[in-house]
Amino acid sequence: MSEHASQKNRFMEWIDKRYPWTEFMRKHLSEYYAPKNFNFWYFFGSFSLLVFVMQIVTGIWLVMEYTPTADGSFASVQHIMREVRYGWLLRFMHTTGASAFFIVVYLHMYRGLIYGSYQKPRELVWLIGMVIYFMLLIEAFTGYVLPWGQMSYWGAAVITSFASAVPYMGDLILVWLRGGFSVSGVSLHRFFSLHVIAIPLVLAVLIFVHLVALHHVGSNNPDGIDIKEKKNKEGIPLDGIPFHPYYTVKDLVGVVVFLFIFCLIVFFTPTMGGLFIEPDNFVVANPMVTPPEISPVWYMTPFYAMLRAIPNKFFGLVTMAAGVAIMFVLPWLDRSRVRSIRYKGSLSKIAITIFVICFISLGYLGHESVSTLRTIMARVFTVGYFAFFLLMPFYTAMEKTKPLPERVTE
Amino acid sequence: MQRRNKVKGEGFKRSLMMRYLLLAILVFSFSSQIWAEDVLPIVDHMQLATAPIDRSNMKSIKRGAKFFATNCMTCHTLIYLRYDKVAQDAGITYDKMPINVKVWPNGITPPDLSLEASVRGVNWIYTYLHSFYVDSKRPTGVNNLLVHNTGMSAILAPYQGEQVLAPNPELDLFGKVQWYTILILNRQGSMTPEQFDATTADVVNFLAYAAEPYHIEQHRIGKWVLGFLVVLFVLMYLLKREYWKDVKGK
Repeated sequence: MSEHASQKNRFMEWIDKRYPWTEFMRKHLSEYYAPKNFNFWYFFGSFSLLVFVMQIVTGIWLVMEYTPTADGSFASVQHIMREVRYGWLLRFMHTTGASAFFIVVYLHMYRGLIYGSYQKPRELVWLIGMVIYFMLLIEAFTGYVLPWGQMSYWGAAVITSFASAVPYMGDLILVWLRGGFSVSGVSLHRFFSLHVIAIPLVLAVLIFVHLVALHHVGSNNPDGIDIKEKKNKEGIPLDGIPFHPYYTVKDLVGVVVFLFIFCLIVFFTPTMGGLFIEPDNFVVANPMVTPPEISPVWYMTPFYAMLRAIPNKFFGLVTMAAGVAIMFVLPWLDRSRVRSIRYKGSLSKIAITIFVICFISLGYLGHESVSTLRTIMARVFTVGYFAFFLLMPFYTAMEKTKPLPERVTE
Repeated sequence: MQRRNKVKGEGFKRSLMMRYLLLAILVFSFSSQIWAEDVLPIVDHMQLATAPIDRSNMKSIKRGAKFFATNCMTCHTLIYLRYDKVAQDAGITYDKMPINVKVWPNGITPPDLSLEASVRGVNWIYTYLHSFYVDSKRPTGVNNLLVHNTGMSAILAPYQGEQVLAPNPELDLFGKVQWYTILILNRQGSMTPEQFDATTADVVNFLAYAAEPYHIEQHRIGKWVLGFLVVLFVLMYLLKREYWKDVKGK
């Protein structure tokens, strides 16, 4: 053994006696056995983590030049875009990152949905993930207020006004949330605090807990069968491979492809034709002028469409909240004997197709202006969305499933 | 799109009267019935012209900046360009902008144009600048197809000339119409229509620059970044294939 190597070993020995570094790395990377049949859908967890780190890093630099006051906010964003060197790059990475976060998280959730990754024993992994998603919605909303453009202001006005629908205490809560009778610099300042400190901290902890829970039960796979049932003499799953190096190098390939698409947007079409940054947000917030159309950014539009589909404000809000809440109880709605869609019956396949159509259509409708036809369509799709969840205990129990394979398939 | 303009400017008087007036204008502008009676119904079918601009053409941007400094800056500010080199070289400096004018004709403060190209789009501005026509009912003597009853005066008329509404403009095969079908040039100004097109294109190009001065740098770096990622992809793919050889054989 060379001099250098033995010195390194002595150093690691010194560390390991005081901190379980080597043990930790083995447990979570080089001896964490993941199923060898991960497919395309399994990239999005790593991508979510990457985007999270990217948002934190670009966010730190943006805060260095940003002013969280009603008078200074809009101008400080323009200052970042124009006078800070590569400020435009930091900001576009952050704005694109916000939308990218939701794209990868939605696909990550869809993966869980089709392969039954929420089923026993992974209920907590799913639940913690849902809390992350909910916090992410709040993080995105508070962040969208910060540039203090027209959409920031009026979006904040609309979303905080939801609180006023709470019976009896609504108006009190509304004033408490906004820090005044209307959205103002006070609201901006508190949203800034939540956006840069409170929620990112909570998110970091939740992501850690999400991974701890996952590594405790082990990863699911596209076949939805348990790889721990077939082990070799050393106790290593026959269909498992160490996460590092196999999935680290595989994820790196995915990361490069992801970054390519990400950079394509950042450098060539950062507003995405008004989807990622709405044109109205280039006009400074003006409490005296309401924009003709107030629509949230695309990732919230499915739920916004549900809200608008119901003619009563209170029940509209209840429906919207239920739209998010119902995803929390998913693990207890699925009565199927198998996890993966590959072995479920045709009813489940039809149900998930209807669900995807409903969710995307609601997203589209929430972005468009209201018309009679669109309201009727939104109602139909809202019913479809809820039917997927509420009927799940019945169709998953009724249908005939296919026999599971002994080992994972390629 | 064209109907929300009149409420967009900043800095209108905040008296109660003004608020009611604004509300009335807002309600008015959304009511298509009233609109159709007042203005030509054909405007609803008008398409935006495509601005013939090349955003990497610095010469055009600089010409546009010069034109802005000598014409547009009489009324419009470009607040966020106060430290911009291109703007300063063209004479667009903070002290020369109409920042301190408090009283404007008809009580309408002309909007700051720093981000106009991001809000409206370049094609909108290009069409707007082209579609002024004589209207004796307006205090300014002109009206506009895109922004009905615009507060902007006929500052471009000396160059473009005098346009009037065409007697019977017709929709094309696709049910659309262009501004130049609705308007006819009655009397030519100091520029030929081609020269005027080129000048407005320069101004629009400059406003596009004003909204996104980083645009050229953004595209230049973007190409290198994407190129780097392509190379990195090949390397990462080969690395992955090397590692995964033993998984396939397992």
